[in-house]
Amino acid sequence: MDFLIDSVLSAFLLLWSFDPDLYFIVYVSLKVSFFSTLFSSLFGVPAGFLIAYNDFRGKRAVITVLNSLLALPTVVVGLVVYAFISRKGLLGILDLLYTQSAMVVGQIILIFPIVACLTIAAVSRIDERYRKTAMTLGATTFETAKVIFREARFALVAAIIAAFGRVIAEVGVSMMLGGNAKGFTRTMTTAMALEYDKGEFVLGVALGIVLLLISFAMNILLNYAQGRTQR
Amino acid sequence: MPLFEAKNLSKRYKGRTVVDLPELLLEKGKIYALQGPNGSGKTTLLEILSLLIPPTAGELRYQGKAVDFTSRGLTALRREIVMVHQNPVLFTTTVHGNLEFGLKVRGVPKSTREKIVVESLDLVGMRGFLRAEAHKLSGGETQRVAIARALACSPRVMLFDEPTSSVDVENRNIIERIINDINSEKGISVVFTTHDLTQASKLSNEVIPLFEGRKVPSVYENIFASTVSLEHEGEMRCHIRDDITLLAGTGTEGKVKISIDPLKILVRKNGRHDSEINILKGKLVQLTDEQTLVRAAVDVGVPLNVLLPKEAFKEQSLTVGDEVTVVIPREAITVF
Repeated sequence: MDFLIDSVLSAFLLLWSFDPDLYFIVYVSLKVSFFSTLFSSLFGVPAGFLIAYNDFRGKRAVITVLNSLLALPTVVVGLVVYAFISRKGLLGILDLLYTQSAMVVGQIILIFPIVACLTIAAVSRIDERYRKTAMTLGATTFETAKVIFREARFALVAAIIAAFGRVIAEVGVSMMLGGNAKGFTRTMTTAMALEYDKGEFVLGVALGIVLLLISFAMNILLNYAQGRTQR
Repeated sequence: MPLFEAKNLSKRYKGRTVVDLPELLLEKGKIYALQGPNGSGKTTLLEILSLLIPPTAGELRYQGKAVDFTSRGLTALRREIVMVHQNPVLFTTTVHGNLEFGLKVRGVPKSTREKIVVESLDLVGMRGFLRAEAHKLSGGETQRVAIARALACSPRVMLFDEPTSSVDVENRNIIERIINDINSEKGISVVFTTHDLTQASKLSNEVIPLFEGRKVPSVYENIFASTVSLEHEGEMRCHIRDDITLLAGTGTEGKVKISIDPLKILVRKNGRHDSEINILKGKLVQLTDEQTLVRAAVDVGVPLNVLLPKEAFKEQSLTVGDEVTVVIPREAITVF
């Protein structure tokens, strides 16, 4: 028990001392997660919107597949992407393996279903009367879609925040595709896994504290966004 | 040239016909009331007239031209007709933002927009709410802003679905006045739906009674689901409830709907009556003044509406709470 308390105390001291190694790891984590969230949102929100807004054959099947992909294990994504970008893989020529870009690609695949599914849910929840109201007021199909988008905006923000929360905390993709290279692809979670293996806990605990603080901040934002949705 | 002209217009949902109109003619500049009970197809017909949903079959002509529901020009046509839904929704923005919407999509310049927004709010007496958050308004205020939002679009036709069904008495009177004003002062043709017969006849130039999607000759009231069994002479006995059965004319057995004409029902206070059939006992629960008639709601186990001539009402000095005898002549009953 003493050792845990000692680790926590040392961890706080480490955080307080603004250890550059520690903050670089945090920076890499935030950067990779930011870009993967950005790109998955750029694809996922419009995709989810189109699926929810239009009626087409196989719509239910598409939604079922996306829902199943929500449970996609990070290691499976890691493995599949690895198969493509490793030297022997189809895209091996791009030399992506063990780079931040590889991590971003893996993470996009991981959270695209989350963004798309939550967008579908958000758009489907918008009362049918909004569509009819916009149309009867003279809106074109595109302008009507904009109205629905506007009405769903807080739920869409919540979807994006949830996706960010998923990538910032994942280990599998970062480890398998990033390789945990110090100063390049080491993120908070991969660093923590390494520290655990080494039997050293101070850095791990410090990073854990940062991760929890980020989660906490994300949840405050999420709560705010959801609160606006339900109003 | 009529405003709307429909021929063999029908709308089916999942195998059920909700609108079935061989013919319908609506003139310009008038107020029409589509009157009927729930499920009579009023809202669906209104949505077809507002060009929001296509009919399953048949033709709709607007200003003499057949409407092509698949055409690209539909939006332009739709901009002449605005519908205000029952329990309308306002966009999650300010009242101003809501009113501006229809003008923005029409490409009206900002300075003109501001003027129209304020004018439209004035018409519904809501100018003070210009900057208010739309979602913080009450039901009646929401309804009035929704009307202003529709008015701002300067439509030729306005369609209202149950405009007063969810508002208090004060707002109800205000909304009825607004509907009257936009027709008489702005010359906008109006079609509204209601299940309230009094409102329909008071506010409109013409009442179009609807029942189960069809235009019917008179307004059906007192509609009950019942099972018919046949008496020995082929006469129908309609079972409305275990303890309420009525004899109607001749017909066939089965599950039917019956309507009882409120004008033909007799109400007696002292229990004297000449009839031997269809006598029900009940309690007078409500009286409403309707110009030359008095509307009486009688609870006979099921609610029954009766329309009495004023003289008959005065003669018997009926008051709410009276125990009364109700006689329903055979000819008062229509079987569907």
